[in-house]
Amino acid sequence: MLLENILGGEMYLASEVKSVIKVASTTKVYRLSYRGLPPSPGQFFMVWIPRAGEIPLSAANYRDGELVLAITKRGKITSYIYDRVQAGDRVYLRGPYGRGFNPPCENERSLLVGGGSGLAPLLFLTEKIRDRGGRCDALLGFESKGKAFFLEEFEALCDKLFITTEDGSIGFKGIIPDALKQILQEQNYDVIYLCGPEPMMARIINSVQRIGLRLEASLERYMRCGVGVCGTCILDPLGLRVCRDGPVFPLEVLLKIEGLGRWWRSFDSRKIPI
Amino acid sequence: MLQIELAGLKLRNPLILASGILGNSASLALRIEEAGAGAYTTKTITKDARPGYRNPSFVKLETGYLNAVGLANPGIDYFSEELDLMKKLLKIPVILSVGGKDLEEYEYVVKVGVEHGVDAFELNLSCPHVEKMGAELGEDLEAAINIIRRVKAVAHGRPIFLKLSAHYNYLKLAEEAVRAGISGFTAINTLRGLAIDIYARTPILSNIYGGYSGPGIKPIALKVVYDLYERFRNVPIIGVGGVDSWVSALEMILAGASAVGIGSAIATKDLEVFREIIEGLRRYLETEGFRSIVELVGLAHEEVSNPY
Repeated sequence: MLLENILGGEMYLASEVKSVIKVASTTKVYRLSYRGLPPSPGQFFMVWIPRAGEIPLSAANYRDGELVLAITKRGKITSYIYDRVQAGDRVYLRGPYGRGFNPPCENERSLLVGGGSGLAPLLFLTEKIRDRGGRCDALLGFESKGKAFFLEEFEALCDKLFITTEDGSIGFKGIIPDALKQILQEQNYDVIYLCGPEPMMARIINSVQRIGLRLEASLERYMRCGVGVCGTCILDPLGLRVCRDGPVFPLEVLLKIEGLGRWWRSFDSRKIPI
Repeated sequence: MLQIELAGLKLRNPLILASGILGNSASLALRIEEAGAGAYTTKTITKDARPGYRNPSFVKLETGYLNAVGLANPGIDYFSEELDLMKKLLKIPVILSVGGKDLEEYEYVVKVGVEHGVDAFELNLSCPHVEKMGAELGEDLEAAINIIRRVKAVAHGRPIFLKLSAHYNYLKLAEEAVRAGISGFTAINTLRGLAIDIYARTPILSNIYGGYSGPGIKPIALKVVYDLYERFRNVPIIGVGGVDSWVSALEMILAGASAVGIGSAIATKDLEVFREIIEGLRRYLETEGFRSIVELVGLAHEEVSNPY
């Protein structure tokens, strides 16, 4: 049992893991009991696992004191969480940080486009859109059927669900940008929400620019402070901080980012290939 | 009204972005200039790249922040590209914060800095959380003075500020530094501190301890600035430590600072903090009947004869 935090939101909020469900070959969904400020879709937490490390993670959902995180094994910390953190354990959160997605206006038709771990904030956004009585479609992409997750959740919330896999094991065979091109020939949308591997997003951003749709994308960078002072997550040449000015940016900004989909800065500020 | 001269540098106002904050790219430097700063200090740059410490490397406390980034930086050769870009884009002076483990490293970084048009240098002999770099060097009087002498010889007359720590005998080091020809002081660096999580039952920072900044350290910074001004009336001081409003900026100036560093306040107030302080200083000067901010430097001291 955790007592009230008398510091009022400073430092970390210890949050108990209520359940862990394996949803794909390398992804697990963690439901946490969380008593802090409610996040909005696109916002993230700095998640600390004592003695292992701390990483930024976008909220995959939040409702009535329950926070959902999706962990896909990628690096050291996500692997540690995936392999070791179980129901009953505690994780430590600070946040929510950053600026999330701007929800669509009334009667606007939106398409959510995501791949891999980028699905987390998009699922949360879909819930919010539905809560407000809005409607949306989703295009989700995975390497293969084994890596796919959140399909039922999106299915239940979206009017139309498009799926692509690189090996064709479910849905269209191919990659997200190609599937999107085809969808946009048949459907009309006002806004696209995007989150996933950056090379994929960069391709989409360049093609959407020509069509003139509204678009917002959530970016990922190495982070330390999470509150806009250390400079680790900087975007050139505008000097924007992903942790504070983002992580969600509109098309006009995304088009100006140097090296989008090609490089980002490492912890020592050197530019390294994505 | 707010223009100052600092060891030969001309600043449009006395607010300087402190080292360690948003100091790793030219794009950020430009944004800081647009936010209103009078000068920009880079992150501490060493000879070779340093990845820094693992996360958690930053934590918010009740009255400030604790960080142990570990002097993460790309190394001066890589960083020189950013310096070139800063030189091209910025109108405000760029101060290169210099770190290293020995004399040769400091000399190397400063030499490259000179080649790439840096306006001034700040010697970080006070970082509290990296062994053998920073505060430990500052504690070794002889090593510190040798560094200052050598750097001065290769700095081509550009001003050199010594960033001091409140952890050691700063007055003694300052005394020797003045003799060795230092141009000014930056006071103070963060203070060693620790944060523990009661549920994790462990220190939060991966490095265990870190540097404490923010409003909690302001009284300590004020005392160091006051002491330095009392002892060396004509050596300019950049007062840093917990300044987050025009009121605390004025406290620093009255204690003897010619310029004021802004750092952690950005976490709380974001970049608007520069405009907020500038406006506050302007209103204060007008309502209190001063023509220039320079008139206020060190006014809290007894029998201050205006050094300007």
